[in-house]
Amino acid sequence: MKRYIDFYLSSMKLAVLEQWQYPIANYFYMIGMIAEPVIYMVVWSTVATQQGGMVGGYTPGAFAAYYIVWTLVRNMNVVFTPYGWEWRIRQGQLSMSLMRPIHPLHYDVSYFAGWKIIVIILWIPLAFALSFFFKPDLHPTLIQGAVFFFAIWFAYLIRTMTLSLLGMVTFWTTRVSALFELYFAAELVLSGRLVPLSLMPDWVQRLAWFFPFRWAFGFPIESLVGNMATNDLLLGLGMQLAWIISGAVAVSLIWKVAIRRFSAVGG
Amino acid sequence: MQGFRLAFSYLRIGIMNEFQYRANLYIQILQTFIALATGLIGLNLVFAQTSELGGWNKAELLAVMGVFTITGGVIRAAVQPNMERLMEEIREGTLDYALTKPADAQLFISVREFRLWQMVDVLTGFVVLVVALIQLNWLVDLWSVLGFLSALVMGAVMVYCFWLIITSTAFWFVRVHEIANLFEGLYAAGRWPVDIYPNWLRYGLTFLVPVAFAVTVPAEALTGRLTLQTWLVALGLTVALFIISRVIWRIGLRNYSGASA
Amino acid sequence: MSSVISISKLAKHYQVPEREAGLKAAAKGLFKRTYKTVKAVDGISFEIQPGEVVGFLGPNGAGKTTTLKMLSGLLYPTSGGVSVLDYEPSKRSHDYLRQITLVMGNRNQLSWDLPALDSFDLQRAIYSIPADDFKRTRDEFIEMLDLKDLVQKPVRNLSLGERMKMEIVGALLHKPKILFLDEPTLGLDVTMQKRIRTFIAEYNKRYDATVLLTSHYMADVEALCRRVIVIHHGRLLFDGDLSKLVEKFSAFKTVGFTLSNPVADLSQYGEVVSVDGLRVTMRVPKEKTSAVTTRLLNELVVDDLTVEAIPIEDVIESVFSVQKEAME
Repeated sequence: MKRYIDFYLSSMKLAVLEQWQYPIANYFYMIGMIAEPVIYMVVWSTVATQQGGMVGGYTPGAFAAYYIVWTLVRNMNVVFTPYGWEWRIRQGQLSMSLMRPIHPLHYDVSYFAGWKIIVIILWIPLAFALSFFFKPDLHPTLIQGAVFFFAIWFAYLIRTMTLSLLGMVTFWTTRVSALFELYFAAELVLSGRLVPLSLMPDWVQRLAWFFPFRWAFGFPIESLVGNMATNDLLLGLGMQLAWIISGAVAVSLIWKVAIRRFSAVGG
Repeated sequence: MQGFRLAFSYLRIGIMNEFQYRANLYIQILQTFIALATGLIGLNLVFAQTSELGGWNKAELLAVMGVFTITGGVIRAAVQPNMERLMEEIREGTLDYALTKPADAQLFISVREFRLWQMVDVLTGFVVLVVALIQLNWLVDLWSVLGFLSALVMGAVMVYCFWLIITSTAFWFVRVHEIANLFEGLYAAGRWPVDIYPNWLRYGLTFLVPVAFAVTVPAEALTGRLTLQTWLVALGLTVALFIISRVIWRIGLRNYSGASA
Repeated sequence: MSSVISISKLAKHYQVPEREAGLKAAAKGLFKRTYKTVKAVDGISFEIQPGEVVGFLGPNGAGKTTTLKMLSGLLYPTSGGVSVLDYEPSKRSHDYLRQITLVMGNRNQLSWDLPALDSFDLQRAIYSIPADDFKRTRDEFIEMLDLKDLVQKPVRNLSLGERMKMEIVGALLHKPKILFLDEPTLGLDVTMQKRIRTFIAEYNKRYDATVLLTSHYMADVEALCRRVIVIHHGRLLFDGDLSKLVEKFSAFKTVGFTLSNPVADLSQYGEVVSVDGLRVTMRVPKEKTSAVTTRLLNELVVDDLTVEAIPIEDVIESVFSVQKEAME
């Protein structure tokens, strides 16, 4: 245990040091990302105003709050992509990390967690700027704040698990970008990324409950922005944990099979 | 003239190359389909709640989406791959090969890559556009067609210049890889007409990142909104951006040659 | 003493899709593929004793890297046995990985944007090296490779050779007992190669480590390895002393001399390799060397007569080309 803590801290430190060298590039990345919610925000605020100040339970201020928190959650959702898996298998990076006496996934999880620290620091001024322009309507309670804190890190872990599973498909075939695209499209619609799920038809909302997407995206936002009862908040955290645990189990099982295949066909 | 021949032969090589990877065509079709589907879902969600957005009705917004898809396809086929390659070469210091060729360097670096399969986007965009125009009971009118086509070309040139300016900054800041991401994010704003955005953002999307000219203006031409004044501004801006981008590219190039010597 | 590395009848076969040229064939390949078997390693056996430094030679594609990968546990053998330090490498048990290292000349492990010191610290955490132990080893290596002024600089600002030295330090911080080095000096200049060679030799001596090394540079092999293993087309060609390799495969010596007057025909003495003005180099069968030199000195007016063994590169090259002809 102590060994893993030591590794995680060292690896996170390395990520922080490395990413801190590129604040501008990181900022470009974040600004590019922020365009998307700003568009949604503007469109839906316009619609809300045209409909007499509210649509689907959201006022323009509530939309602003939703999409500004969205930007943080979106950044927490950035993990090692399936394309990255493809790349590291091809480049032989995977071979090198297999030579270390530690599971390579620990490296991914810790490195990106470290990077998140930089991202959060860089996000704060952006959030202020966005709030200045779009006047969010946001009054979280203490418990909401606490749940949100855990929810974003759980979201990070859920997406790490799902994208690692997706990435491992590249052990079997290299023509997987179609699969990835389908996944990302489903995610866009079912996660609350495109619009708050409450604006979706009922059946979509019900469907979304059974996928990991909304637990990694919509739920953390709603935990801070919406007025969920404490019970629902805790239930949400429970669902997140359930996805993390089952994801981790699935990852480690498939990893074993994948590595067996990898060491049969060459590194 | 020799430049055109060069561009043409690269185009040919690019197309032949793409034929090698036919599987990519299917992937491209799927990607286009997914993008279209999510776009339509977004559009329907909005119009489930309202009947017009910033003075544009649903069919008009469908036309905007068509133009958005066409221009996006052109950019991803011809502009972005060239610029990404250039960025990579500046970063790796391998640009020298390109600079030793007996052709105008800017022309040369702008025509080396061509992604044929992105034409799927262009075709799909046209289909969407035609569907939208039928819904609008649009009558063929020479002036609006000319306005549309010229606006489309000017928009594409402006986006190219924008990319070249940003890419040229790679001569000074080594890591600009996130630029592609930045552009994609901002370009997505073009899915909706820029009039719906708050002023500061509208100006940004018009003059900083020429999304307005690449998408909204051509769409305006088709929906009878384009004024001669806007068209002339577009023309002026195209010329200005072209000159600016060429100057910045030149300065960057001098900087590069100085540093690598 | 029992051997630390032991492989017997080791083989690795791959199924690779066969591709035909042409667009039509490529399109057809999308639906149906034909495969052929490539025997990258085809039944090789050898043993290595603790503390040995062994050169592992063969042309590109001979199966060297495949063998190294099987030894380090990255590849699962098709058949045959591998045992290193009594472990089965392909299980990649953490205890095993802690005792070995694999260095590939063209792969980098260090963070590009940071000083190597930061990456070294991550190595410490990965291998759970006790802090004071780590510091001692690190400083010792830095000293040995003369890297003191460079460890604070971002790796991207280092030259290729400096970077490789850093890589080697990083790869050895956990003081592995077994070193698999795949082209550790690839692309480096001569002084840098020498430096790395000396370091490997020193490491081998200090820690009694076992080293298996591939290199394109015979100078590496000559300086470090008494024993060499030569493979070609996945098969073992030679296993033994480097000097024996030369003896076995080199039936000729090089005789060089300077004439005082041009001589029209020298072929009666041996095979002329080159004539540069009055300087002549010729190849003479080993057993005839003394007879030929005597004749040269008696019958012609010559200066600076030298007799040399044929450079080892040429010996190896001739081994492979003979082998190639035999195979075809």
